[in-house]
Amino acid sequence: MGVRLNSFLEKISGVNLTPGIDISGITIEGGYVSDLLSDVMGSAQPHQVWITIMKHLNVIAVASMTGIPCIVFAKDSKPDDAVIKKAIEEGICLVSSEKSVFEISGILYLQLHQI
Amino acid sequence: MSPKALMKRAKEKGLDIIAITDHNTMANCSAYHRVAAKDDIAFINGVEIQTSEEIHLVALFDEADDASAFDKELYESLLPIPNDPDYFGDQVVIDSNENIIRCEERALLNSSTWTLDEALDKIHEYHGFCYPAHVDVHTFSIIGQLGFIPDDMPIDAIGITAHGDRDRILADFPYLEKYALIRSSDAHYLADVGSGYAMFYLEKPTVSEIRKACMGTEGRKLWNEKEEIK
Repeated sequence: MGVRLNSFLEKISGVNLTPGIDISGITIEGGYVSDLLSDVMGSAQPHQVWITIMKHLNVIAVASMTGIPCIVFAKDSKPDDAVIKKAIEEGICLVSSEKSVFEISGILYLQLHQI
Repeated sequence: MSPKALMKRAKEKGLDIIAITDHNTMANCSAYHRVAAKDDIAFINGVEIQTSEEIHLVALFDEADDASAFDKELYESLLPIPNDPDYFGDQVVIDSNENIIRCEERALLNSSTWTLDEALDKIHEYHGFCYPAHVDVHTFSIIGQLGFIPDDMPIDAIGITAHGDRDRILADFPYLEKYALIRSSDAHYLADVGSGYAMFYLEKPTVSEIRKACMGTEGRKLWNEKEEIK
């Protein structure tokens, strides 16, 4: 079970902030939603997409530690260049979407469960 | 907490230096400063800033001019959401005789629009001393919000709660070893004043001396809580 990352990003009208990273082979198996990085560190799982509005540089380290391949910044929030640069170094895909955290999560849930 | 009652309590608890650190404002510092001066208590202009990541930072300033200029910028960085006095109470600004001069309009409870990095830049621009508050609790603490403290963060110390177990904190977060851990009461009520404190070896009671003590330079130092006091 899983959803191709590309297909999910299309559904949420996501803008890829790290176009240099090849995501064509990435499949996601779930999602995690939180803005508290201590919580994400303890609970997020590899192969999940992380949906957040937190934009501090530490998000990249947390994603890297937990094995998250892609972070979606909701509500059209965009991290600054230093964060994007670090993400490219770590091979983590960053996406910005105009949709809310609730909508993005709902779309992923429907896709994962093929409702 | 009225200034006179606060100073009386501070004296009872044997505090030589106090800072008031209201949430997102320094509007009351000058009134408290005047009362403290009469009572021979060294007073430090302080504030607890809530950044856009919902991290609490304590900033301390030696110079009243720096403090008020910083406070003005901080106020401008707050979202223009009015305070709801029925729900949160009036945000009163007082004079040293405890008269209410005015009420702050914007809700001080909300976060500043400054990010953590922006807040740190601003504090340093006005020569402030800065540390993340109460890192040993989960709410509004830098470790709770960001997971860990980035290695190159320009902070001067680390704040811990009145009753936080220092050994436990260092065991949980060994990377804090390189910082001075400043314990404070973070008192919201008179009864809590003095419930936690830090002791420093200083030449005079100023922020610049505290900065030296936290760096351990020129013979100044922070009491490590285990050493016997002579």
